[in-house]
Amino acid sequence: MSLTQLVIISFAGAFLTYFSGKVSSKLRDVFAVIISLVLIAILSYFYGKTEELRYFSFLGLPLLLRINMLSWYFAITIAVVGALSIIFSLSYMKGKEKTDFYYLMMLLVNAGMLGIVLSGDLVSFYIFWEIMSWSAFLLISYNRGPALAAGMKYIVMSIIGSVAMLIGMLSLYTNYGTLCISEISPLIDSASSGYILFLLILFFVAFGIKNAVWPFHTWLPPAHSEAPSPFSAVLSGILVRMGMYGFLVFFYVVLGVKLFLGLGQGLYRFHYILAWIGAINIVIPTFIAMFQNDSKRLLAWHGVGQGGYMVLGVAMGTSLGVVGGTFHIINHTSYIALLFLVVGAIEYRTKGIRDLNSLGGLIKKMPITFIGALVGACGLIGVPLTNGFVSKWLIYKTLILKGYPFLAFAALIGTWGTILSLYKFLHNIFLGQLPEKYKDVEKVPFSMQFPIIILSSVIILFGIFPGIPLKVINSIVVSFGLQSLNINIWGISSETGALNTINILTAICIALGFVWLLFRIGEKKVSIAQDDNYAAGAYVPKGKYHHTVEFYNPLFRMIKPYFKDFVDEFYLLIVKVGRSLSDKVRKLYCGDLSYYIVYIVLFLAVLIIFKLGFNV
Amino acid sequence: MIIVAKIFEIILPPILAFIIGIFFIGLFRKIMARIHWRYGPPIIQPFLDLIKLFHQKGFSHGPLFDLGLILSLAGSMVLILFIPFGGMCALGNSGGLLVILYIMLFAPLGIALSGGEGANPNISIGISRKLIIALGYEVSFLLVLLTLMTYYKTISIVDIVNAQSNFHWALFSPLFLSGIAYLMILPAILGIRPFDVVGAPQEISSGPTAEYGGRFLALFHIWHAFSLFIGIALFVDLFLGGGSNPVTFFMKMVVVFVLVTFIHAVFPRLRTEQAVRYLWRWPTAISLLGLLLVQIIK
Repeated sequence: MSLTQLVIISFAGAFLTYFSGKVSSKLRDVFAVIISLVLIAILSYFYGKTEELRYFSFLGLPLLLRINMLSWYFAITIAVVGALSIIFSLSYMKGKEKTDFYYLMMLLVNAGMLGIVLSGDLVSFYIFWEIMSWSAFLLISYNRGPALAAGMKYIVMSIIGSVAMLIGMLSLYTNYGTLCISEISPLIDSASSGYILFLLILFFVAFGIKNAVWPFHTWLPPAHSEAPSPFSAVLSGILVRMGMYGFLVFFYVVLGVKLFLGLGQGLYRFHYILAWIGAINIVIPTFIAMFQNDSKRLLAWHGVGQGGYMVLGVAMGTSLGVVGGTFHIINHTSYIALLFLVVGAIEYRTKGIRDLNSLGGLIKKMPITFIGALVGACGLIGVPLTNGFVSKWLIYKTLILKGYPFLAFAALIGTWGTILSLYKFLHNIFLGQLPEKYKDVEKVPFSMQFPIIILSSVIILFGIFPGIPLKVINSIVVSFGLQSLNINIWGISSETGALNTINILTAICIALGFVWLLFRIGEKKVSIAQDDNYAAGAYVPKGKYHHTVEFYNPLFRMIKPYFKDFVDEFYLLIVKVGRSLSDKVRKLYCGDLSYYIVYIVLFLAVLIIFKLGFNV
Repeated sequence: MIIVAKIFEIILPPILAFIIGIFFIGLFRKIMARIHWRYGPPIIQPFLDLIKLFHQKGFSHGPLFDLGLILSLAGSMVLILFIPFGGMCALGNSGGLLVILYIMLFAPLGIALSGGEGANPNISIGISRKLIIALGYEVSFLLVLLTLMTYYKTISIVDIVNAQSNFHWALFSPLFLSGIAYLMILPAILGIRPFDVVGAPQEISSGPTAEYGGRFLALFHIWHAFSLFIGIALFVDLFLGGGSNPVTFFMKMVVVFVLVTFIHAVFPRLRTEQAVRYLWRWPTAISLLGLLLVQIIK
């Protein structure tokens, strides 16, 4: 099995799925699932292998595919999340229009992402990047209506990023005559720091837009909320994190640790500024998320916010920080994908309700979905014994030990923003009273529960045994030329404070058992109906006794004046000015021939004046 | 012998924490009564109340209603094992202050989930207030902890306590600003006046406890006792040098507790946004200054 075959299978599978859909929709479903599972199987065969092969030549440039630990780590995540969202789509997309097209695009996005992480030169990187971007655009605007506007916003920003990347690539090619990643990195050592800064800014824009780093994040919330939910899971989970992959490759493989950390001086070091961007990226979006009333938009803002932790970790440039940032990528993938699938399940059963103010009490109707939501929320918050905790712990520890308490503060306070918004998410959807109209809501089918169960178990598994993924990540970090960490299955042992999940796990289990026993003694408990509750003597109204609207009102009243997405408003202002300018230019083309003749005569007159007056 | 000592170290702190917490509730009622010119209930009244509550019928709204409460109590018990208690600290080297910060989440989250299942708007309002207040004090709390971790260059709370032995108390070091900030937010952490918006019996029928009865209420009271213990024990450990044995530790705790009880007796309740505005203004400013000071002198 070679890498070329892997890429061919992923692309051919997408188109075969499309055509099999023309025969029968059952066949297409089976085909889509098989393709995505086969990809996982092939990728697990590639574990630990490193190889590079040339598959094509284009204008004299060799196009390469290569695999190493870093690509494998991303590729397996892509394949697993892709497969789970395809399985989830089976029921979710049933009875919708253009499902063949939907599956084609889903698999194409997957194939594009696999291509990105497996490509060994920048030309194939760019081609796969564009395939991914455009198929993502088609999926975001799949639902039409507001989704079209969201897709447009996404693709405009995506194109700006691609152009920046293209300029960077051309500049690299003219200077060094090669675009192979492995050949550039030794050559670039001798470059001047001004040139490296130029490249860094270009690639920062290119990957930052896809990664939704703070000043470039504005496309993400509408795009995530309008896309079909299984695709939102892929989009927020891994597609956005391709930007993170780009950062890792560019900072640590192309430039190398020394160049990356050595750029700039004092407080104006590039990586320090990058860390501050990460910190801003954590705080602002998580606080905005607190006041969202659309469940998917709330999660989307967390997609932006959690990106900040990864940037913060990766920007630190120590092995602890890079391990934390890189681990946070798959952790984020697992819980944000899970939460988007949960929202998808809710949408599926309540006929597309995403408004957090009109749901409630669904825990009794959809227990499995609730457990998924709870585990996902715990992961996102970073409750101990979930994977999010381990990566955040690594990042905090790096920041504190390196002596950046303010950055650590930004990261820690972001956690509290996350708690507030996710409690609102859980409370408004699952807890409280069940409205009358959802009395007959049923559990979601197994094909929707299955991805939820798998992702929940991954979150807990990696939370209790963080050593499994950390071993892979450690070898990635070592390949970057950083120090190897002392990793065991339960966490990390080091001199300046160790992490030991087994102690926490044992302690919590014993405490839980003890409290459970305490709970069992005494009089028996009586189970009562949900509306049989205490209202200080007042009448309990049926079916609408749920406090959801303006859940954090006192806080909201306080910070309302500052509660704006200034960046988005700035971009919209640019759009407005641009539009009115082009409107004025358009007026010149009135369609009347005599005006055009006047323009021509005027132009000639100007030319003659120039000729006579300045004698050029 | 070592194993026996270890087991002793694990079992003793939660039991002592329970006794001290319950004693504090009794003491609290007694002091309040004396300030009100009353005689007040006997000091073991809270313990008698617990026995009574275990004999009463409890009403459950569903599995999460039970589990959330159990989880929060278990979380508090685990947290106690992370906090040095007069020389004892069973889980001293399992992640330090960062893990403490995160295990502190278990209790409010558990209560919040349990209360949410209770389907009572009074509970929901109480929890939303609790979370907002937490966001309010957490800003200065985190700054204080970060100041300590930066000053002592460790994330381990045991090391911080050891560094303060022989009366090198953090409260009388360059960290004094952080100590003052912690004292200013301590009533909010303990949930007493002027920050008792969460319970607020006159407004939202005791908020999160509205649906609890019988042993649910009993467990909630135990949790409350633990949280009193944790809030004050952290202060004693971080700023008053901990204690070489449980007795000195306890004496220090009593002093701090009586101090916050007086604050409770004097001040009226703030509204939620007033409380957050206060918390984000003065304690935050002071703790920020403290962090800057430590950054400069380091």
